[in-house]
Amino acid sequence: MLTKDLLQYKIRKGQILPQLVNPANNQLLAIAEQLIAIFEASINTPRATLLETSKQTIDSTPGAPIIKRGLEKLLLDRTEFDTAPNEELIAFRQKLFTETSRLLSQEQFEDYTDYRHKVSQIVADESPIEGAELYADLPSYQPIVTFQTLSSERLLHRYNAAQVQGLLLHCNTLTLRLADSMTAELRQLFKYLRFNQLLSTIRKAEELYQITVDGPLNLFYKTKRYGMNLANFFIAVLHQPKWELAAEIQFRNKQRYQLSLDESCGIKPISQQFLAYIPEDIQLFQTMLQNKTDDWQIRPGSQFIPLPGDFYCFPDYQLVHNSGVETAIELFHPWHQGHLIARLNTLAEQRDVSLILGVSKELEKKPLIAEALEASAYFSQFGFIFRDVPTMRSLLPILNSLV
Amino acid sequence: MSSPLKINFDKGTLILQDVPEAFLTQLPDLRWDERTLTFRAPAYRYRDIVSQLRAHDLSYQDTARQFTPEPFTLQKEMSPHFYQTEAIDAWHANGKRGVVSLPTGAGKTFIAILLISDIQRPTLVHVPTIDLMHQWHTVLTEHFGQKIGLYGGGHHELQDITVTTYQSAVMHAPHYGNRFGFAIFDECHHLPGEQYQYAAISSIAPFRLGLTATPERVDGKESRLYSLVGECCYEAKVQELSGKMLSKYRVMTIAVEMEDTERVRYEEARRTYLDFLKQEKINMGTRRGWHLFLWKTSQTEEGREAFKAYLTQKQLSFSSTTKQEWVWKLIQRHSGDRIIIFTQDNDTAYQLGERFFLPVLTHQTKPKERKDFLNGFRDGTYSILVTSKVLNEGVDVPEANVAIIVSGSGSVREHVQRLGRILRKREGKQAVLYELISKQTSEHFVNKRRRQHDAYQSSNAAPSVK
Repeated sequence: MLTKDLLQYKIRKGQILPQLVNPANNQLLAIAEQLIAIFEASINTPRATLLETSKQTIDSTPGAPIIKRGLEKLLLDRTEFDTAPNEELIAFRQKLFTETSRLLSQEQFEDYTDYRHKVSQIVADESPIEGAELYADLPSYQPIVTFQTLSSERLLHRYNAAQVQGLLLHCNTLTLRLADSMTAELRQLFKYLRFNQLLSTIRKAEELYQITVDGPLNLFYKTKRYGMNLANFFIAVLHQPKWELAAEIQFRNKQRYQLSLDESCGIKPISQQFLAYIPEDIQLFQTMLQNKTDDWQIRPGSQFIPLPGDFYCFPDYQLVHNSGVETAIELFHPWHQGHLIARLNTLAEQRDVSLILGVSKELEKKPLIAEALEASAYFSQFGFIFRDVPTMRSLLPILNSLV
Repeated sequence: MSSPLKINFDKGTLILQDVPEAFLTQLPDLRWDERTLTFRAPAYRYRDIVSQLRAHDLSYQDTARQFTPEPFTLQKEMSPHFYQTEAIDAWHANGKRGVVSLPTGAGKTFIAILLISDIQRPTLVHVPTIDLMHQWHTVLTEHFGQKIGLYGGGHHELQDITVTTYQSAVMHAPHYGNRFGFAIFDECHHLPGEQYQYAAISSIAPFRLGLTATPERVDGKESRLYSLVGECCYEAKVQELSGKMLSKYRVMTIAVEMEDTERVRYEEARRTYLDFLKQEKINMGTRRGWHLFLWKTSQTEEGREAFKAYLTQKQLSFSSTTKQEWVWKLIQRHSGDRIIIFTQDNDTAYQLGERFFLPVLTHQTKPKERKDFLNGFRDGTYSILVTSKVLNEGVDVPEANVAIIVSGSGSVREHVQRLGRILRKREGKQAVLYELISKQTSEHFVNKRRRQHDAYQSSNAAPSVK
């Protein structure tokens, strides 16, 4: 992530425009290449040496220093330093300081040289110690252990994504407009959303789904409390084939700016996407289902499900019966308390099944939830409790009742 | 029959269900949340909401509160000073909420311990630094003789009495904000910070105590502190307790002349820096000035030179050769005393540590060595400790009697805090604080401004300029 001093943006008529770089710019690609090479060649060298070498490239190549320092920062984020304490040096310091403290408390010196001479006598039998070596375990001396390399083009895309993420750190709520692409990317987006402990409302507007994302306290404060969560969430947005993002950015000066961005910005996804990969839980679910019945097929959730009112949800799984009957399952884990209450409220008056609700045993233990589940006619008909993963014993009766 | 109103805790907020229509406008900060189709309020409103419901005799089901009274027992009897008793009484009279403002060394922790044993509710103590967290942990363990929790700095253990850092509380209060009935905010002037305030907002604790030597903030946000913790209910100033409950002290300001070569470098760097400010029309006196300067200097080669010049002139005024010579003189003058040397930045601290072979304590010091340095300084193994800012606040070093400020931010708060490190009362102790100020530099003017503060006005404080 980039710190505020490394962000490049322009402000025009209340709009904040991140200054993205051209990932195909040969000059920038060459500089990125050079910086990556420096980091790759720096394994085992101290941090200060790495930064000094990197600085030479930053100073000697053309282009805005702020961009090059931003690239350097992103590379540093991928670098691991050896931060283990240097026990030998710590023990030496302990011994030395005990002695120097005794000297300074009990003796008077003609001058500083006299003191230094006495100190060197004390440590004469130790390895020679010059002042500068006394704290040779400070971060600037820490050697590089690993560096996670990447291509120069990918670094420039990461830089552009980091420019947007850097702004989103200063935002309190964002709105996304997405087409129902019915793809795995969308499912991943909702996983990110829940993982980041954010709340959302999904509405449909002009054939697009409008998702407002923020956190519980946003109801009361224009807080940037969830800025980090929203910035992380942006990574999943980049995987969507078509998207529009709108956010209000507010820096310390309290002035608010609008950030508007869509897929035409050209930023490529910066995280791995395992679309062909079938998650373990789905595999397990599939196996369990096949062992019990051939009538139902399960797949990961991949499209919005309309709910009463003007609401939509995005389920975890979707199931199809041989007869063509379709249904979906939404699972609620211990940290989904707010989501579950919302869902029970939405479905309170519903008589037909829209969605099967799976609630974790741990969440059910909460008195408020236990009571809400007890009181919900919908849940008693279309809901089940699970421990780690849903079992067929609790799910099949509900599925069979739908056919 | 309609269901009773239900209150539940959810990620630093309260979810209210089945609220009678007549009450919707009477409960503070209650809002309809269409994301969850429930009413919601910030967690810190818990006490106000419950009080309202009780006042109207409305039955409710409370699953938010996850704490019950705990019989905390003090290991030994404690006799408070008169002003500590006054502070405790004032806090009770203020509805068991509020800020107590006492100078450093006057025993704020003591007041907190008495109140924890009095209130008998699970207590969460918030502190700004890891060092303070460990210090509170030691003191609380000693006084209550039970397991005290630590949350932050790699520790994740909640107990009925737990100490946490503000930073950790901001991250985790949404999960445990309903487990404590008493919230203590040490060095509570930090609380109104943009993020730190959420440690208080996300907690339902009905009883709240703020402790500080200086509640005022330059941004005027102390009103936010009072709304989250309660009004300032007791205040005593440093000169009221000096000589009685605090050690007598003197403040000596030493104006230091730079060496000729350094002076030339300083003037040149300062001119480059000021010319850039003028050319770019940057006013460093404004809040935005610094950000603008950072941004502008990162844009061009000339800007980068100006930034380098800025650092050079700053570095020279912070740690000129003459200042280092003065440090040596003062170390010699106070041979046998317990001295803390304060600097503005880590580089200067390590420079002094390497030159004089002294222990340096900064945020970069690893936990084990940090403990060794602090304990060694307390027990006299080390008579001198060099530090940048980590000892500014709270950390208890009663044996220290001399402070040498080589450089600082220039703020009154920092000055008062650093002075506080050497004021803890001990028999026959006379504390001395030295400020080394580079003549004809910005430091000199900042110092002049700062001297208006109370701490300089004490009869015991004899400011002098050499």
